Amino acid sequence: MISVVQLTKVFGAQTAVDKLSFEIPAGQIVGFLGPNGAGKSTTLKMLTGMLEPTSGQATIAGFDLQRDLLEVKRHVGFVPESGAVFESLTGLEYLEMVAALYGIPKNAARARIKQFIAFFDLSFETLTDKLLGAYSKGMRRKVVITSALLHNPPVVFFDEPLDGLDANAAVGFKALIQMLAREGKTIVYSSHILDVVERVCHRVIIIDKGKLLLDGKPDELVATHNSGTLEKLFTQLTGGAELEQRAEDFAKTFRP
Amino acid sequence: MSETAATPPPILPEAAPLPEKVLRRLFLTLFLRGRSARQLKRATAPNSIGKKLALTLVFYALVGATALSFWHQPVFALAAYVHAMTFVFLGMFVASSAGEVLFNKEEADILLHRPIRPQTMLWAKIRVLVEVSLWLAFAFNLAGLYVGFNSAGGWRFPIIHIFSTTLEALFCTGSIVLAYQLCLRWFGRERLDGLMTMAQVFIAIAAVLSGQILPRLLVHMNHVLGINEASWWIALLPPAWFAGVDDAFAGSSQMVSWLLAAIAVTTTSLVLWLAFGKLAHSYEIGLQTLNETVAARGQKSGRRRWLDQIVSLPPLSWWLRDPVSRASFLLTIAYLLRDRDVKLRVYPGIAPMLILPFVFLLQDHGHQATATAAPNFFVPFTGAYLGLVPLLGLRLLQYSQQWQAADVFRVAPLAGPAALCHGARRAVLCLLVLPILLLVGLIVWLLKHDLNTLFLLLPGIIALPIFALVPNLRGRGVPLSVPTDSAKSAGRGLMMIPVMFIAFGIAGLASFSWTHEWFWQFIAAEVLVVIIAYAILRWMIDRARWPAMG
Repeated sequence: MISVVQLTKVFGAQTAVDKLSFEIPAGQIVGFLGPNGAGKSTTLKMLTGMLEPTSGQATIAGFDLQRDLLEVKRHVGFVPESGAVFESLTGLEYLEMVAALYGIPKNAARARIKQFIAFFDLSFETLTDKLLGAYSKGMRRKVVITSALLHNPPVVFFDEPLDGLDANAAVGFKALIQMLAREGKTIVYSSHILDVVERVCHRVIIIDKGKLLLDGKPDELVATHNSGTLEKLFTQLTGGAELEQRAEDFAKTFRP
Repeated sequence: MSETAATPPPILPEAAPLPEKVLRRLFLTLFLRGRSARQLKRATAPNSIGKKLALTLVFYALVGATALSFWHQPVFALAAYVHAMTFVFLGMFVASSAGEVLFNKEEADILLHRPIRPQTMLWAKIRVLVEVSLWLAFAFNLAGLYVGFNSAGGWRFPIIHIFSTTLEALFCTGSIVLAYQLCLRWFGRERLDGLMTMAQVFIAIAAVLSGQILPRLLVHMNHVLGINEASWWIALLPPAWFAGVDDAFAGSSQMVSWLLAAIAVTTTSLVLWLAFGKLAHSYEIGLQTLNETVAARGQKSGRRRWLDQIVSLPPLSWWLRDPVSRASFLLTIAYLLRDRDVKLRVYPGIAPMLILPFVFLLQDHGHQATATAAPNFFVPFTGAYLGLVPLLGLRLLQYSQQWQAADVFRVAPLAGPAALCHGARRAVLCLLVLPILLLVGLIVWLLKHDLNTLFLLLPGIIALPIFALVPNLRGRGVPLSVPTDSAKSAGRGLMMIPVMFIAFGIAGLASFSWTHEWFWQFIAAEVLVVIIAYAILRWMIDRARWPAMG
């Protein structure tokens, strides 16, 4: 469903993504991991058509990223890390606008939005009366997730989707993406909350400095590297092994 | 979580709304309501913007009423006047709004992964800009349409004038977009931010200049269109092209008018073809640039070190002893130098306003060159008019796309915003006022060739600290703390009027005292008044507490 070959992005003298290659079949949830500045968001932005790759190729849902960009965009959903929305629209206005951009007629969009409202325990009045600028962070995140899934895309990219969601909503969301994968959707899940990734994802891809470090099933990778947990494996690979000691030393500087 | 139905509704592209319509409606809503909101309800949000828009329309209509003085003038004179002034207003409006509308950083995260062609997005935005421009132009041209219909042009005038004004709005908007695209094409995406500011400043100045020059040129031509060796360059002024359209169809219909009309249609078509056809791909590149989180570094850190050193040396170190004021000073300078959003608002907002005194100075110089007696009025007027720079600069600096980050000031243990306001005020005085003052001094010296004339700038310079304190009253001058949408009010244009009256007052007194040789006594009295006013304003600002969150 997703095929990436030698994908590269260069900003001036800096290579943000360096010849990245991987394949993801339909129905798989892939954790896309890396430390800050590793190139995760840049990769996701390239695969969703927001940034033009410097070189390399990618095919998403059977469409070439460079040749059929609009088709790629029609077949992906994306929850960006920023969770940006147009704050001066109401939730309903925003979602209907997004639906219209994907060619969903108004009545069908309204019916679909109501299904999402029910799932996320949002009230229809809130969605119609309040501007998004007045929403809590969690409510806004629910609207952004809805806007990514509204057009029923076969491929969905999530960048820190749980940010702002309360515990119940997070549990519901994790269950939802597992069910969506069973329905055949391909899900790329980028997050720093590694225990969630370990529980939810069928496979993890770890990158650092734009390069691929590891690619495999979480339990197999943990066993191969004898690290106990995915979090420990991640810190080993990305140079964070001495973090606990550093935290202890730093905490001492707070003593009066 | 409740259960949801399993089957999604079918997508029927044939019954779907067109993306062009969806985007046009979206951008118009965003323009009228603003892009950000804090604790707003749907019912209250559009009303405030509506009021502002209504106020702006009334203001434009009142200014446009000056066209009534063209009652018995030929069509070209009336058309040239209203097109020149429309060009000024449209140029300034489009230059100050285009950056925010065309290149909004947050918008990239919301729209760039949706199935929309960049050209479609660009067209929708341009349509909104043109529609709002036309509203403003319509308000300004109401009196002109009435005069044209009842006096010179007859029934054909309103029809053709609406057409030529639409053409003018398209030309203004297309020129801004074209300027951005050419910057991208010639200088590359890395330098887009700085070049966008320069392009907007240049276009705003060009719009105001050509709008100011044409009516003055008409006086020399006795309000009758005739191109000869002395006035051939009227064909270089865009408002004259659009006035040519009116004159060709509803006025004298002479060959020159048809020539100007042909230039209007050809140039506007060319600008639109280049901006929206030939170079539309550059817009996509511009939008993608906003997405590039990895930015060029290097020289920026050098600039910061340079700034830190300057601030730690006298006299700035004495002036910025308070650490909060120093931090606010550095923050303001950083945003004035680096932040695209702030630069696009501040520099194109201030530059065109400053054209007026320069035009007066040059006009005064021209009169002197032709041996007409000219009083020493416009030099002190220019000095006093500079009060607009801190007034406008500090007002515009309050707006930011990152206004929510200013909550950090309220969280900090500060009783009120005074120290922050003082830091921002000092930054504006150093970075904006001082260079403009030096430039004005240089121009005055070059025009008059007399160092003594520079003393006439003193009354204005002495009044500057008062102008700089006014935006901080009631704790309102906290930098970067207000959503950018509030910047779209008519207040900026209205602010010019009291400043101009004060400038006229100061200049009149200075000129009178200079002629009657008690200039220095006048200066001493002004210093005394300014000291007292400064002390009162500082006391009020220092006592101010945090204004309520909007």
